[in-house]
Amino acid sequence: MKYYNLLVTEWLKFRKNAVVSLLGIMFLVFMPTSIFIGKEFKNVPPPLPNNSIFFEFPSMWSYLGYVGNWLVFFFIGLMVIYMITSEVGYKTMRQNIISGYTRHDFYMSKMTSTIVLCLFVTFMYAVIGLGIGLWHTEGADLAYAFDNNWAIPRFFLMSLGYCSIGFFIAFLLRRSGIAVMFYLSYVILVEIILRWGVHGKMMGFKNSSINYYPANSFEDLMPNPLFRYAEAIPMDDLDFDFLLTYGQAAISSVIYISIFFGLSYFMFLKRDI
Amino acid sequence: MIALSINNLSKSYGRIKAVQGLNLEIEEGTIYGLLGPNGSGKTTTLGMILDIIKPDQGTYQWFEGKYGDYHRKKVGAILETPNFYPYLDATENLKIVDQIKGGKRNNFDDLLELVNLLHRKKSKFRAYSLGMKQRLAIAATLLGDPEVLIFDEPTNGLDPQGIAEVRNVMTEIASMGKTVLLASHILHEVEKICDHVAIIKNGKLLATGLVGSILSDDITIEVGSHDLDQLATVLSEFSNIENLSRKNTWLECTIPSDTNVEELNKFLFSKGIVTNHFVSRKRKLEEEFLEITKE
Repeated sequence: MKYYNLLVTEWLKFRKNAVVSLLGIMFLVFMPTSIFIGKEFKNVPPPLPNNSIFFEFPSMWSYLGYVGNWLVFFFIGLMVIYMITSEVGYKTMRQNIISGYTRHDFYMSKMTSTIVLCLFVTFMYAVIGLGIGLWHTEGADLAYAFDNNWAIPRFFLMSLGYCSIGFFIAFLLRRSGIAVMFYLSYVILVEIILRWGVHGKMMGFKNSSINYYPANSFEDLMPNPLFRYAEAIPMDDLDFDFLLTYGQAAISSVIYISIFFGLSYFMFLKRDI
Repeated sequence: MIALSINNLSKSYGRIKAVQGLNLEIEEGTIYGLLGPNGSGKTTTLGMILDIIKPDQGTYQWFEGKYGDYHRKKVGAILETPNFYPYLDATENLKIVDQIKGGKRNNFDDLLELVNLLHRKKSKFRAYSLGMKQRLAIAATLLGDPEVLIFDEPTNGLDPQGIAEVRNVMTEIASMGKTVLLASHILHEVEKICDHVAIIKNGKLLATGLVGSILSDDITIEVGSHDLDQLATVLSEFSNIENLSRKNTWLECTIPSDTNVEELNKFLFSKGIVTNHFVSRKRKLEEEFLEITKE
């Protein structure tokens, strides 16, 4: 009941917020439509057979998942950051505490709404994937669609992973602009430089350990399916897989998600608001 | 019951000691003024007892621990500025506060009526004037039937009409029998509304007690004549004259309450002083405040 009330309060806060609405609508529009860009590729290069792999079960889950990977990172990650930092900007975070929330309550209201948001986007991934798959796969049924399908839980974990980075950065930096810039630049640029430049080159650990970074772990839960083909191509200076297995990515992600949520909690409990 | 007890509360920002070993007890039902100049540590103190600022040392306890961690549900407070979601209207914002306090209200018209905002209840918060924002914040403090209300400089930045409106609402709230803690640097605001006062400066408690007891019994005398230098010399010969100072066209001093003012007038006349200005009055809180807080 308590967590339900926390969620209702979050809903009351943001249901009429233009930024949250816009980010949500963009995700809901792009999630089903982006995959259809694949229709434009009439002739796909080998080893891909044809462009139907983008839409048919079971490969569809991977391609749609990879589209979702970018969309969640961008729209949902930014939404989580905004839902925390806007409360600092409007000083409603401190007012919520003054009005009666404990710090734990406020933190839990953000954490539970982040988890629910991730469940929602995962649900949308499942529904959209099912729709596209059933429409394009001849003779497919629900049993076939969900047969040995770990893509949906992986999508949820990936979503929670990106959101946990945003969540941590938002509680750490508190200001919307700086937090958004840091989040985008960390995932797109900084981590890659850290992995390949600092860790791999400067420190000389050019091995699979460079894969165990947070954003990379989350990305490898729902990676670009074409990377699996690229991995098959031998490269002289790379004698290790540059994708984590799903199991490795899942374990690494769970650890990072716990660290990000845990650090955010202790930071929020200790600091002035 | 003790509504709030503060024990040895301290907070520093680098070298600046915002609050130093503050001790205070506020009885249930009192209208308590926290009085101090700007930067004296009033807001920091309120921030600490509302758990948005972490004290370096010291403790505080609300309602003798009766409500545990959820004591703030029984406190209505405005700290510095009114803080609401700018894209929501008055009712939607009050609904959020009510939800946080664990309430089940769906109608807030009575509260909006009390603060004279009913006609603007559908306007977005961002469209409100500062006075309206402040009044909405006061309405929010009343949600959840609070036992204590805290107002931090509630008339800051308001125009005279806004100040009058907010003071009227506060006086009305004070008459409801709630415990009120009003932090202000405006003395007559505290004098008008509060029955108890604590004076703080540089984070230290300088005086506390009933407004009447903080006020001394001394009488302030304003006296003028054509030669103020001669007047000053003669006045200093009169027994029990204190705090002699020169104002524009007269001198000001204090005498104990049991001194006969008529005797002073007679004394001056006997020394050849003919006064052209003579006023006798009780000392005001403002003078007392300046006296207490002077370096």
